[in-house]
Amino acid sequence: MSQPAVSTTPSKNTAPSILEWLYKHGTLLAILAVITYFGITQDRFFTYENFSDILRSISIVTLVAIGITFSLIVDGFDLSVGSTVSLATIASAAALVLYRQEIFITLLVPLLLGIAVGLLNSLLIVKFKLPDLLATLATMYAINGVQLTYTKGFSIYNDMPLPDGGTAPGKFIPSFLFIGQGELFGIPFSVLLMLFVVMAAHLFLTYTKPGRLFYLTGENREAARLSGIPVNRYRTYAYVISGFFAALGGIVLASRIGTGQVSAGASLLMDSVAAAYIGFSVFGAGKPNVIGTLFGSILMGVLLNGLTMANVPYYAQDIIKGVILVGALALSHWQKK
Amino acid sequence: MNGLSMRGMEKSFGAVRVLDGVDFDVRPGEVHALLGMNGAGKSTLMNILAGAVPPDAGTITIDGTIYTFSSPLDAKRAGIGFVVQEIDTALFPGLPIYENVAADEFVHVKQRPIRSLRHEKERAAALLRRVGLSLPPTKLVRDCSLHEKQLIVLAKVLSSNARYIILDEPTAALSEAETRRLFAIITELKQQGVGFIYISHKLKEVQEIADRLTILRDGRVVYHGGARSLPLEDIVLHMTGTKRTAAAKQTRTYRSDIAFAARGMLIDKTGTTIDLYAHRGEIVGIAGLVGAGKTELAESLIAHRNTSGEWEMDGRRYVFSSPYEAIDAGLCLIPEERRKQGLFLPESVKTNLTVRLLSRLSRWQWISRAKEAAEADGLVRSLGVHPPSSTTVVRHLSGGNQQKVVIGKWLNTNARVFLFDEPTKGIDVHAKQEVFSIIRSLADEGKTVLYFSSEFQELLDICDTIYVMVDGRLLARLPAAELTYEQLVYYCSGGEIHEPASRFHNAIEKHGAVHS
Repeated sequence: MSQPAVSTTPSKNTAPSILEWLYKHGTLLAILAVITYFGITQDRFFTYENFSDILRSISIVTLVAIGITFSLIVDGFDLSVGSTVSLATIASAAALVLYRQEIFITLLVPLLLGIAVGLLNSLLIVKFKLPDLLATLATMYAINGVQLTYTKGFSIYNDMPLPDGGTAPGKFIPSFLFIGQGELFGIPFSVLLMLFVVMAAHLFLTYTKPGRLFYLTGENREAARLSGIPVNRYRTYAYVISGFFAALGGIVLASRIGTGQVSAGASLLMDSVAAAYIGFSVFGAGKPNVIGTLFGSILMGVLLNGLTMANVPYYAQDIIKGVILVGALALSHWQKK
Repeated sequence: MNGLSMRGMEKSFGAVRVLDGVDFDVRPGEVHALLGMNGAGKSTLMNILAGAVPPDAGTITIDGTIYTFSSPLDAKRAGIGFVVQEIDTALFPGLPIYENVAADEFVHVKQRPIRSLRHEKERAAALLRRVGLSLPPTKLVRDCSLHEKQLIVLAKVLSSNARYIILDEPTAALSEAETRRLFAIITELKQQGVGFIYISHKLKEVQEIADRLTILRDGRVVYHGGARSLPLEDIVLHMTGTKRTAAAKQTRTYRSDIAFAARGMLIDKTGTTIDLYAHRGEIVGIAGLVGAGKTELAESLIAHRNTSGEWEMDGRRYVFSSPYEAIDAGLCLIPEERRKQGLFLPESVKTNLTVRLLSRLSRWQWISRAKEAAEADGLVRSLGVHPPSSTTVVRHLSGGNQQKVVIGKWLNTNARVFLFDEPTKGIDVHAKQEVFSIIRSLADEGKTVLYFSSEFQELLDICDTIYVMVDGRLLARLPAAELTYEQLVYYCSGGEIHEPASRFHNAIEKHGAVHS
């Protein structure tokens, strides 16, 4: 066998390098193009209020999408994040409004529920070896059913009437509302939270030993196992982290809208999956990564905001989301080849 | 003229001449064995006969008619049946037996759109009786044993009126009793006028079932004649050709204490258990034909497969249930499927080399980039990885350099027992020598090496001691210095080990006399 020691990449032709450049920087160009387009066509686009609004909505999508990024890194998938967001929204609202809890319990309960969903998913996928898509499809439905059953389909809000004739004892307390509506140094707190989580997750995945092992587990599970990496443990962690971040997203969502709306997280699944897949290509990473995911959700957020301003109805926006996801998938697949 | 004959078959792949004027014939009602080492040209010859590969030159005559096959379907129509070694590739596991038997006709023959299920079942039942299977035709193929599946394929082949049937390593995965049953059926079908081409590495069985032999070596026929008149030793000599001069081998010494032992290791494929041991600094070969169960043994030893049994390392007993535990105790496996099992292809040489060293290279879980690069560069230098850079993506390295990386990731770890599974597969001669020198220096440092291979010459070159593995069993533990290449081939092909080795040497002398 006489192979060249290093495969030589074709450098004479300039066409592939332009394609490569586009692949690496396409997401950034797309974000700039979308901002420019809506900036020109919509008067109210370039306002402080609008940008703050875009950033707030991005912050929730990014939190959820980081969870998905973790499941993608270990070569898994988590469809249940949307339902987990809904569950966490309802749980925090119920803790505040129905049980008059203070901030600590209000945060703890949804996060524990998110972790429990992650453990359930990893039980099905890692232990019982069910296909990840189907297992999380099932948990997605089941969890959605749980939050609907608990609320009997009604949202939870301040001073809501109770079946026994009275009104709800508690209300959304200011410290909780601060998470989604408050500002620090003129920046929305949820945006700061998002930036903190993005930085922490990025540093963790890029520079630490467990972060490295997450990636290796996903890249070649058998080689990882034969290298002595406890792959099932890392896959379990990934689903638990995914559930945790979905729950965190749910808390921010509840705080931002100030009610516990049923099925509030349903639309977040698609947005965050698209964000994570768009992230594959950012700066030519070619693999799931947190910084890419952030840019992916910025693209989604800016686009959806502009479309709403341009009076594109929300159901028609789904068409555009679908097209973007197909594009991102095609791009990541093309790059693999 | 009755019978199948191939005359002057020639085939080259690129510059490599695989078949160089091979003549081969089969009479109705005989078993004709086709023998040769790996690469002798057996598979190519049979692929030509089965219509899968077009020959460069030569004619195929079957019962008086000259054929030119342009597809496997042509060969099938001419009466050639092929029972492949990987039997599962020829069957639909989720369908019942009768549908499998009828599948070929169903696909190839224009039929009335409505099938008569009753007719198909009856026909399948009749064919199953012919191959001696008493199974209900409605049984699902995936519920059948390997032996049954093989006979189902044979029935399927008979259903298309095959008169000449190729059996490729039919007994490779069969038990002794199943082999007996298969031979009884072959004998039965022989009497009905079916001609068999029998390919096998198990020479003992060949002698028992075959009427005639053709032995190929380097694309030429080197022996052709009756099967029973030729002693096993001579068959081996014909297959291996001129006696190879063993490379000048320096005698290695190793310590007398047992560093590694495994007892009652279950090989799930064959259902056998294995005991083995190795001394500190010893290079122990596990020699066996492809399919003898070497990879299964290696993966059981690292606890990658479900197995039973216990391990002993440096006097301590262990029971491992995952590679994580085995590796922690000081075992490591350099797996056969390098790209699939050994490497993280999209990652750099550095990342691949430091997988096992991250704990040492990090503080509070934070990997020190500088330490990591220094460690990887040191390994790249000492392994001689080309290009000499730790940032190359592993996917872009050649096979030999990839193998160095797979080995390199264990060098600076606590690994004390190295399992090498076919480590020279697909790498060039130069890289092979480099891999050998790494293995030797590991052993010289006092590490214990188990070397699993079907490359018998390499085993003799590198190993101190060789276990002979046949059908999932270790038959003997022999000092490599006292073994010849022919003997090792002979033992691994099922030859008796416990008779005095001198008889084999006599045979060599006798053989030499015949030809001088």
